[in-house]
Amino acid sequence: MKYDVVVVGAGIAGPIVARNVARAGFSVLLIDKKPAIGAPKQCAEGISIKVFDKYDIPYDRRYINREIYGAKLYSPSGHELELRYKEVSGVILERKVFDKMLAYYAAKAGADVLARTEATDVIRRDGRIAGIRAKHEDEPVEIRADIIVAADGVESTIARKAGINTYAPPHEFDSSYEYEMLIEGYDPDLIHLWFGNEIAPRGYVWVFPKDEDRANVGIGINSDNPETAKYYLDKWLRDNNIPARKLLEVNVGVVPVGGFVRELAKDNVVVVGDAARQVNPMHGGGMAEAMEAGTIASKWIVRALEEENLSLLQNYTKEWWETDGKRLEKVLKVRKVTEKLTDEDLDLFIQVLSGADAEKIAGGDYVEVIKALLKHPKVILSPRRIKLLKQLI
Amino acid sequence: MAEKIRVVVNEDKCYLCGGCAGVCPTLAIEVHSSGWEFFQDKCIGCRICINACPVGALSAKPLEVKE
Ligand SMILES: Cc1cc2nc3c(=O)[nH]c(=O)nc-3n(C[C@H](O)[C@H](O)[C@H](O)COP(=O)(O)OP(=O)(O)OC[C@H]3O[C@@H](n4cnc5c(N)ncnc54)[C@H](O)[C@@H]3O)c2cc1C
Ligand code: SF4
Ligand code: SF4
Repeated sequence: MKYDVVVVGAGIAGPIVARNVARAGFSVLLIDKKPAIGAPKQCAEGISIKVFDKYDIPYDRRYINREIYGAKLYSPSGHELELRYKEVSGVILERKVFDKMLAYYAAKAGADVLARTEATDVIRRDGRIAGIRAKHEDEPVEIRADIIVAADGVESTIARKAGINTYAPPHEFDSSYEYEMLIEGYDPDLIHLWFGNEIAPRGYVWVFPKDEDRANVGIGINSDNPETAKYYLDKWLRDNNIPARKLLEVNVGVVPVGGFVRELAKDNVVVVGDAARQVNPMHGGGMAEAMEAGTIASKWIVRALEEENLSLLQNYTKEWWETDGKRLEKVLKVRKVTEKLTDEDLDLFIQVLSGADAEKIAGGDYVEVIKALLKHPKVILSPRRIKLLKQLI
Repeated sequence: MAEKIRVVVNEDKCYLCGGCAGVCPTLAIEVHSSGWEFFQDKCIGCRICINACPVGALSAKPLEVKE
């Protein structure tokens, strides 16, 4: 088999690249090791409404599970901060359908798609990577391609076998565990987030509603924690008297929350999405980031093929680092500061912040909010809090 | 140097999520669609994978040193 481009992994990033490259008229093969693309899901399925227009994805009811109007934050001692918009701000997807439909859009654009096809290694010829070795059911297949795209998720195996350094220290990952379950008593129009060092070290517990009484209920904690994510989620459910007897799914995964890969293209190999650690380090969301990286990568892949100049792939690294990379580095800085907050700090901040402040933070304009916090009497009394907040400006 | 260990999986707990493979610095774990695989010769015994597993499916057995 010979293609212009082979894409390993049909999560979010892979199908976006495959679709865009196929649209430009080049031959593309998209493979995934899963027998059913999208299943099992490893996701809370929340995404901003903006991505549909931005990345040219149909707003299709088949994978829009529920529309969301805002968020509610809970501090360790139960103080609440609500942010509610009049308009839909985000959606909870059905990722099993969404991922498969993204692959379908790639196929419709002209890409070949092979499920249950696992890349096992890269093929090296004359000192360069000439394609990948894969296995479809028990049949070995050799796929030759001019450009290899590693969109293989957190494992990043193919990217690493191709010689791209995607290593990040264990503290730069979150371990996540989630139940899709029946749960009552939470406003189904909002996503709900609980913070606290006892509740979810470094991370948070989430309830993302999929129905009036059904939600993804999950947790992310630092992956170098000696306890498991499951331990903390089960504890939270017990402590809050939430019965865990109507569990429809158990979802497990590890999320990169830092450690962005420096070199996103090496010779003719390109790495995108979780494989390149392109995830928001504050909330662990990576779908929009995977779409953005996939869009930039595919632009340069198409140019490189058109101009028959593979060195143009380096521009993907450059452009990503100048745009989304720059933004995510700032978010990483915030994560590192918020990691130092005590439960008392979290209680105080959530108590004194208003919905309007939350809106500013959500919009990325957090500096103004920090400045306001720095004037609050309870903050002024604590040199440690002043120091932490000042690091954010 | 870290103690030489054999990382073992409890298949009844493992979800094949791929997380342990992602955090392993040496590609000593591969997670296939149908199974979990460990490569002893690559493992440096850092135990990063064991902590990272969201469900505690991994454990370490000390490796017997051949004289
Ligand atoms: C519990 C949890 C909750 C999350 N919640 C959210 C959320 O609410 N919102 C959000 O935006 N993000 C969330 N994320 C993060 C989000 O899921 C990822 O950032 C996103 O899926 C990244 O897309 P990707 O295409 O890079 O990788 P993936 O979606 O992981 O896709 C990688 C694909 O590659 C395939 N693959 C891997 N190796 C091979 C191989 N060797 N051969 C063939 N195929 C291979 C896999 O089967 C997989 O389908 C969550 C993650 C977890 C674990
Ligand atoms: S991290 Fe745990 S559940 Fe995931 S593949 Fe590894 S052993 Fe299995
Ligand atoms: S102990 Fe370290 S080197 Fe060995 S498999 Fe686990 S993460 Fe990899």
